[in-house]
Formats: sequence, structure tokens, C-alpha cells
Amino acid sequence: MVISTESTSTRAVVTGVPRPPRTEQAGRRRRKWGAEQVLLYALLIFAALTALFPIFFLLTGSLMSLQELYRGASLLPTELLWGNYATAWVEGNLAVYLTNSLIYTLTSVLGILIVSSLAGYALARLEFWGKNVFMFVILAVLIIPAPAMFIAQYKLLIGFGLTNSPVGYVLVMITAGIPVATLIMRSFFVNQPKDLEEAAALDGASSFTIFARVILPLARPGLAAVAVIQGLGVWNEYLMALVLFRDDNLMPVQRGLTSFVNSETPQEQILLAATAISVVPVIILYLLAQKQIVQGLGAGALK
Amino acid sequence: MTTPTAVAAARRQDLAPRKRWPYRKHAVGLLFLLPATALICLFTLVPFAQAILLSFQEWDGISPDTPWVGLENYERVFGDQVFWESMKNVLAFAVIGFFIGNAISLGMAMAVHKARRARSFFRTAYYIPGVFSVVVIGLMWGWLYEPSVGIINRLLVSIGLEGLQQNWLGDPALALGSVAVTFVWYHWGFGFILFLAGLQDIPAEQYEAASLDGARAWAKFRYVTWPHLVPVTTIVGLLSLLGALQIFGTVQVLTNGGPGYHTMVPTLVIYTEAFTSHRYGVAAAMSVIFGGALVLLALIQLGLTQRRSRS
Repeated sequence: MVISTESTSTRAVVTGVPRPPRTEQAGRRRRKWGAEQVLLYALLIFAALTALFPIFFLLTGSLMSLQELYRGASLLPTELLWGNYATAWVEGNLAVYLTNSLIYTLTSVLGILIVSSLAGYALARLEFWGKNVFMFVILAVLIIPAPAMFIAQYKLLIGFGLTNSPVGYVLVMITAGIPVATLIMRSFFVNQPKDLEEAAALDGASSFTIFARVILPLARPGLAAVAVIQGLGVWNEYLMALVLFRDDNLMPVQRGLTSFVNSETPQEQILLAATAISVVPVIILYLLAQKQIVQGLGAGALK
Repeated sequence: MTTPTAVAAARRQDLAPRKRWPYRKHAVGLLFLLPATALICLFTLVPFAQAILLSFQEWDGISPDTPWVGLENYERVFGDQVFWESMKNVLAFAVIGFFIGNAISLGMAMAVHKARRARSFFRTAYYIPGVFSVVVIGLMWGWLYEPSVGIINRLLVSIGLEGLQQNWLGDPALALGSVAVTFVWYHWGFGFILFLAGLQDIPAEQYEAASLDGARAWAKFRYVTWPHLVPVTTIVGLLSLLGALQIFGTVQVLTNGGPGYHTMVPTLVIYTEAFTSHRYGVAAAMSVIFGGALVLLALIQLGLTQRRSRS
């Protein structure tokens, strides 16, 4: 509706503009495009450098000696001290933190996939009482922000004895992921053809059998998008990790890094190396699963 | 023994009574939703309600009793200058993130959309900051802003602009701006990805038609691009606004609210009030006020969108 009215007004506005003769226009356009593309690429490259330069200097700083870092004479390391990474790995307790993060991320993602694919399927395909109420609740929950809840979540988890506990943390992470993941899965199922389900139903298969044997195997692309985007979210989560974990051996890597900063006052280059190590998994995930991330962002935001 | 027909017959018999139960389909649907419902109730709705109750109570974080104190917590919050200062700061972040951040997102999406080569390289590069955690962002930019040996000041020296060196995070006049730069750098890729996807959905014929009509760049933008992007703009606007208002980790790691309270934000005040000062009731009152404002904002924005899409 909006679009068609707008395009009529386009015509109305631009009919007044006299059209230049064809040949002249074509010639001018070719020349203009050359300059335009050069400027365009200058802008694109400048923006890429801006996006990447902090990462570059994180890496260069992490490879310098402390003396070189604080002399401040050169921007690039004169000698690459890879040993900083070994020191960071040991001093920063990174083996423990990274293992914890990996475990929390994998369990949370698995939980989110199970819960949200069940819910998404029900919302997309099944008819039952209270479906609209549930849809409303999901949308309502989406707009309740973390700052409104984290104090009360902490109090609740104390009641369950689940503070400073992986179980409590993972349950909160799963719950936080459910609304967006369910909406993504729902829109995925809505767009799937129904034939196979109907055939399976005619064969007398129950809803759960159809779901587990027919639906889930076909839902792999949707599940992958949800897994990647939620995995990134859990890996990077900080607020609840800060609130819930007291014990260093249970902390995920984001919480562990700030604990490293505060307790041991590490040398700057070691801290930079530890930071760099902590982003290796997300960079790998990003480069491998960029398509899913982009799709997941779009689906999560727009649907 | 059991021939296929016998199995089929048995199955049919097995199915028959189940089919007769008229509520089966409702039960199945609700069973599919049970895990999601249980978790959301337990870890979202109950805490949300509990936050409201706790805002009328007093709690030190340890003791089992939480006596009712009426409106005392709220009175305290209303008299708390740091909290209101933090509200002002976060509003500044929101305005900067919303206007500058989204202008960059949209501008760069249009630029990449126009590029003929290496589009996917630029897209990859621009979203990289978005995959980092707030802690990584804080540590990385803390190093860039470091006053004596940080990269930004050293870059200024190496290009002969010593005079522009600053104590980026320590100077009360600059700290908020420095954190805002970090925030925009961190988040513009998100809007960029969505705007780019929106631009790619616009049919090329519409631009061709506009060109044939002699439309210049601005007219094309105003009458073709912009109307198509309205849905994306709305959602990007809402999410970036809510994201900026909830800023926490970046600030905590970069400045911890300082110098003084010049970069203090509400979530950090709430956190400190609870976990450092052990006044959980006051923290809950703050989170009710602040969280309520965020919910209201989201509802207003969604309401406006609905009305716009209906008209």
C-alpha cells in the first residue's frame, strides 16, 4: 500500500525534470561512475580499516614485550613474542575458563534447540487452546529487559541453591534464548511443505513420532541458524555470569577475563594475549557460519 | 507369529480409543509447549513479578527475612543523584547510538550495496566487531584509549598531532564521548546487516523506472529506497535504542562508571547497589523504574509501527 502511493508520487515529482538527450546522459554517466566507484571504495576501505584496526592493535600489542609496550616507540612489535600467549594461557587460567564456556554454550544451545523447536512446531502447525495466549507471552517476554530482572533472578536462584552453579546459569541462558529461537523456528516451520507430515499422519504416526522422525531432520537449516546465533549469545554473555559465579573454577571465559584483570593485575601484553585467545572460537565460528549468523540476525529481528 | 495384518489391526485398535478422547489435540499442543512455558514462567515471569515485590521490601542478600518497607526504597531512588545522573548518561548513549550509529549502518549498507566487487569481504569485515563480547570490547578499547602508551595517542604522535593527545577515559569532558565511540564501533554492524538485507530485497526495476523518469540520487533514495526500508528501519531503530539503554559490560570494563559518575549507566548502578552496597530492595526499585521505562518505550515504538503499517 505504502509503496504504491510513494511510487506514484515519485512520478509526479520527477516528471517536471527535463530529460537530457540520451547520448550526453550516457557519456556523463560512464565518467561519473568511474569517480563514484573510486570514492565509494575509498569509503568502504576506510570503514573496513576502522572496523579492523582495534583488532590489529590488540594482536600487535599482545606480541610485544612489556618494555617495548611502555616505551611506546614503535607501533609494531620488533620481535614477535609468542610466549606471551603461553603465559596468558597459564596465568589467565584460560584452559578452565574456555572449557567452562564451551560446556555452558553447548548445553544451553542443545536445551534451546529442543525447547524452541518443540514450541515453534506447535505454534506453526498444531491447533490447541491457548495458542494465541502463548504467542502473546513470547512477544511480551521479548520486551522484558535483563536489567529489570537480574536482581530477582539472583534471589530466585539463591532460593533454589543454584547460584554459583552451572545448572542455574544454563537454565537462565536457555530461558533467555527461548523467545527469539521459538519465533525463528516457528517461521521456519510455517514455510515448510506439509506433505510429509500428512503422509506420516495417514500412516498412523503420533504427533511426537512425526516431530522426531520427519520434522526435525528436515529442520536442520533452521536449527543451525538458531544454534549459531544462540551459541554466540551464550559464549559472549556477561551480566548473569558476573552475578552468579563466585568460584573461579566455574566461571565462563568472559567472567574469567574480568576476574583475571581484577585479581592478579596482569601485565598489559599478557592481558591482551588472553583477550585475543578468548575471541579465537568466535572468530572461527563467525567465518565458518557467517551465512547462518546473518540469516539468524535477520530472522530474529524481523519475524 | 504376528503377521503385518495383525500388527496393523492391533495398531488400529490401539489408536481407536485414543482418537475418541476429544481433547487429545489440545493436550498434544500443550505438551509441546510445556518445556518452554515452564522455563519462561520460572525464570522470566516469576522473577519479573518478584522484582516488583522486592522493590517494596528490604533485603541484604543473605538473610532469609525480607521485611516490607512500603515506599521507602522508591523514596531513596528518587533522592539518588547517581541514579538520575546515570539515566541522563544512558539517554546520551541512546541518542548517539540511535542517530549516529544508525546513520552509519544505513550509509555503509548503501555503500556496500552499490559496490560491484568484494561485497562479501566488506560485509564480513563490518560485522566482526559485533561477534565480540562486551568484555573483549572493553579490554580492547581500554588499551586503545590508554593515555600514555595506548594506540590512539601513539598514532596521533606518529602523524605529528601530539597536541590532540587526550586522557580519553579519564577526562570528565571526554569520557562519555569515548565510551559512545566504542559503543557505535561495536554495534553499527548489526543495523548494517539488516539494512543491507533490506536493500537487496528492493526490486531493481523500481530504480530503473526512477532513472528513466530522470530521478537523481536523492529522489531515488527518498521515493524508492526509504519507503522500502521502513520496516527494517523500525526494527533496527527499536533494537539499537533498547540495546544502547541496556549498555552495561562495556562501561563496567572500560570506566566502571567513572571518572566520578560521568559514564555511570543505570544497569551498573543497579548492579552496584545490589552486589556492592547490598541494598537489594533499592536495586529492585531501580530496576522496576528503569525496566518499566524500557518496556514502555518498546510498547510505544511497536504501537507507532502498527499504526504506520495499518495506514
